[in-house]
Amino acid sequence: MEYTIGSIAPIFLAPVLAFVINAFIGNKLPRKGDWLATLSIFVSFIYSAKIFGDFVFGKFATDYFVHKTFTWFDLNYGDFVFKVDMGVYIDNMAAIMLLMVSGVATLIHLFSTWYMDHDERHGRFFTFLPLFTSAMLGLVLSDNLLSLFIFWEIMGFCSYSLIGIYYEKEKAGDASLKAFMTTRVGDVFLLLGMVAIWMVIGSVGYVDIYAAIAEGKFVGQTVLGISLASFAGFCIFMGGMGKSAQFPLHVWLPDAMMGPTPGSALIHAATMVAAGVYLALRMYPLMVIGDLTSFIAIIGAITAFGAATIALVQSDIKAVLAFSTISQLGYMMIGVGVGSYNAAFMHLITHAVFKACLFLSAGSVIHSIHEQEMPKMGGLRKKLPYTFFAMMCCTLAIAGIPFFSGFVSKDRILGDALYFGFMAGQSPLMAIVPILGFAGAGLTAFYMFRMMFLTFFDKPRDHHIYDHAHDEHLDARSNVPLLILTVFTLGFWYCGTLTGQSFGKVFGEKTEWFKILVEAPKVENFVNHSREEFSTVDTRAGVELEKAHYHHQTGYAGPNPDEHKIHTAHTIGAILSIIIAFSGVFIAFLMYIKKSVKPLSGKFPEFTKVLQAKYHFDELYVGIIIQKGLLGLNRFLAWFDMGVYDRFAVDGWAAVNRTLFRASKWFDNVIVDAIGVDGAGVAVNLFNLVLRIVQSGRIQFYFVMLVVVLASYIWTINI
Amino acid sequence: MINLISYLLISLVLFFVGVTVMVARKNIVAILLGIELVLNAAALNFVAYSKFVTNNLDGHIFSLFIIVVAAAEAAVGLAIVIRFFQIKETVHIDEATSLRN
Amino acid sequence: MFIHILFILSATLTLAGAFGVLATKNIMHSCIFLLASLIGIAGLYATMGADFVAVTQIMVYVGGIVILMLFAVMLTGGKDFVSKAQNLLGLAPSMGNKFTYSMGLFVGLVFVLTNAKLLWSVAFSMSSNEVTEAYPSTVNELGHLLIKDHVLAFELSSVLLLGALVGAAIIARPRKQ
Repeated sequence: MEYTIGSIAPIFLAPVLAFVINAFIGNKLPRKGDWLATLSIFVSFIYSAKIFGDFVFGKFATDYFVHKTFTWFDLNYGDFVFKVDMGVYIDNMAAIMLLMVSGVATLIHLFSTWYMDHDERHGRFFTFLPLFTSAMLGLVLSDNLLSLFIFWEIMGFCSYSLIGIYYEKEKAGDASLKAFMTTRVGDVFLLLGMVAIWMVIGSVGYVDIYAAIAEGKFVGQTVLGISLASFAGFCIFMGGMGKSAQFPLHVWLPDAMMGPTPGSALIHAATMVAAGVYLALRMYPLMVIGDLTSFIAIIGAITAFGAATIALVQSDIKAVLAFSTISQLGYMMIGVGVGSYNAAFMHLITHAVFKACLFLSAGSVIHSIHEQEMPKMGGLRKKLPYTFFAMMCCTLAIAGIPFFSGFVSKDRILGDALYFGFMAGQSPLMAIVPILGFAGAGLTAFYMFRMMFLTFFDKPRDHHIYDHAHDEHLDARSNVPLLILTVFTLGFWYCGTLTGQSFGKVFGEKTEWFKILVEAPKVENFVNHSREEFSTVDTRAGVELEKAHYHHQTGYAGPNPDEHKIHTAHTIGAILSIIIAFSGVFIAFLMYIKKSVKPLSGKFPEFTKVLQAKYHFDELYVGIIIQKGLLGLNRFLAWFDMGVYDRFAVDGWAAVNRTLFRASKWFDNVIVDAIGVDGAGVAVNLFNLVLRIVQSGRIQFYFVMLVVVLASYIWTINI
Repeated sequence: MINLISYLLISLVLFFVGVTVMVARKNIVAILLGIELVLNAAALNFVAYSKFVTNNLDGHIFSLFIIVVAAAEAAVGLAIVIRFFQIKETVHIDEATSLRN
Repeated sequence: MFIHILFILSATLTLAGAFGVLATKNIMHSCIFLLASLIGIAGLYATMGADFVAVTQIMVYVGGIVILMLFAVMLTGGKDFVSKAQNLLGLAPSMGNKFTYSMGLFVGLVFVLTNAKLLWSVAFSMSSNEVTEAYPSTVNELGHLLIKDHVLAFELSSVLLLGALVGAAIIARPRKQ
């Protein structure tokens, strides 16, 4: 396949075109232009599928990538070099992600055409959704941090618009602002990290960064006393923390549920929150040489466990899904931290699929009963059979039940985490990571099935709602997307074995395609990379890469890999996670179906309240940091500006001017007028008086004067 | 012993007296008399210097011319006095205040 | 010896005459005292050997100018001279007015001091020549000087005298009433 502008650019440009058309004339189009948006995303999907086919079915090489650049601007002048290149960088990871994003986005668009049908914000929704999708696709395609950052910000803006789409609701406006501001904190750090990298290398392209790492350009560089690689890596990871809602920047995601559910499905399941993990995966070599992987793993573990605990006591169905998203993102970050590069990416993909499906199913439930609170639901299994089936499969996936995709990816992460925590020779503190990971897995299974049981099983708790629920029919727009997504929650799409642990190889080598193709980038490969121009002609040299093959790869890129021990850890981990998952399901079953075990919330009411208040993070941020800290600083600065600076520097001049005016007035009146003008007259009068005496007219007086003057002359002459 | 200084002293005193006359007397003619005294003192001075210092006769010449000029000046001055008397009917010096102020 | 006597007499006459001019109330007496003083000065000239100047002094000054003054006094009513005006301080002036005398004395003092400065620098640096008995006659030499060296002054003085003559006659001529 030829990689030219014509074959890559439509992925990104088709949705942008839909955005532009919908923005200007969307209201005049039939159905407010939603079909146009869906069509544009489908076009992106076609092109992405072509690329995916070329990478996976055509080339099938681990280290294969396509890198094309074009110069955005070039400010070279003598010694001063400032050149910014933009371009595309497609490797296996990007190809898979493109397919996932465009595919999921197409299904979500299709679903939204049904969901938002009688909504008054229908047109606005379909203006921003394709823009958002194009930003995500552009982000995946981009080859440098700068264009990633541009698309990052576009996504942030679209998220702000979509969350606050019902702008008449004050809570929606607050929530959208909160989302934007919290991710902004991360974005500032991301920009700082980019600047730090630029200072060392002079460019922020991935390839340049990998080459610089291989050449050791980061060694010995420090900023403010810490190594530059750590600083840059930390800042970039902060950006990822903001976008992927890691602790402590996770507070925006629960409030983002104010937006319409399909929007949440795209933003908070498949795309935007995945962008942070994608960034961490791309910058993985930087994190390695910056020694940040342990930090990332701990943050991920805290997030995974903490969010799971909060989700235990939520009563809104969308809130449960929001916290489960935060928790699963924590797992992805654990994967990045412990070195489980491949499994982290796989979890990203699988999570996108089943979380999108879960959100869409929740949207279907909400659409039919017009209610979000789970205590009011119950027994909807009969009313919404297709939705129930889809949601059940996805819940099984997320809970980590074998044969489903979620189990494959999560188990691999936990296995590597087990190895990392206990056997890789790290400090004992790292044991927290697998412990929290497994605990969180158990809680995940528990609360997801709690959600299922409360919603679909049992007897309906509110008969009014139950009676008025719309029955579900198989419809191309409302059910089929869910079912299509459900198909891909099965495990064997991603790995050849049914359990993901290569216990039983069923279909041969190529079925482990995911594990083979996606690997942490080897920085040595990028050292002498030559640039290819992104144009209408493909100028790659016909290089044949060695076709990858399955060779006992562990997929573990962390410290101290020992194949045998890793295998042991994975085995233990698999057994452990199966046990934990099933026990979680069983406990939920006991609590909510059999009702033989009372929910623990009754036994620990104060702790329940703390969990329901999300560990009081909102109060901490708003009440203490913002109200007392920032607003206090704001008040101080305002006081300083108005009271001190304005008073002295600005108003003070008025006082100075007044004083100068009074002084000059005095000067004018006294010195100039009185002394100068009047004084001249008085002096003349005085002299007049004197002269009148002299000019007496008496001759003898004149003569006396004459003699005196003459004498004075003689006295003054030196004889 | 008569030397230069004695003549100079005499001329000094004469001059002093002449100036006093000019200042102290109220009659215009008396003032003209004082002027004559002053002129004579000067002439005496010149002749004394001519005798004792320069040993030529330039001082004498100058004294002669002083006499000539004094005569002319006295004539004109007295004509003015007479005219003044014809107008003011008096010769008091304080009546000559037309140039006052 | 003769010289010294002549000198003393002439000096006394000169100074007495000068003081007399100053002191007397009567204007006629002042004129006579001036006459005496001028004769004394002529004598002083004689002691210095300035024979021509002495004689000229008597002929012109004494015989001409003082007579003229006397005529003027007689023509302007000097005897009946009474002053109505006031002096500088508004007091009625008389001959013995203290203020006018003190003014005159002040002026004289100024002059004396001035001259003392002059004289001091001049007089004692001169060689002290004495007056001797025998003098050459100055007439010949004065004649030569007047014609040769100072001829301009001579001619100009004659013009001056002409002018004075005409002017005086015009100024003092009687007016038609």
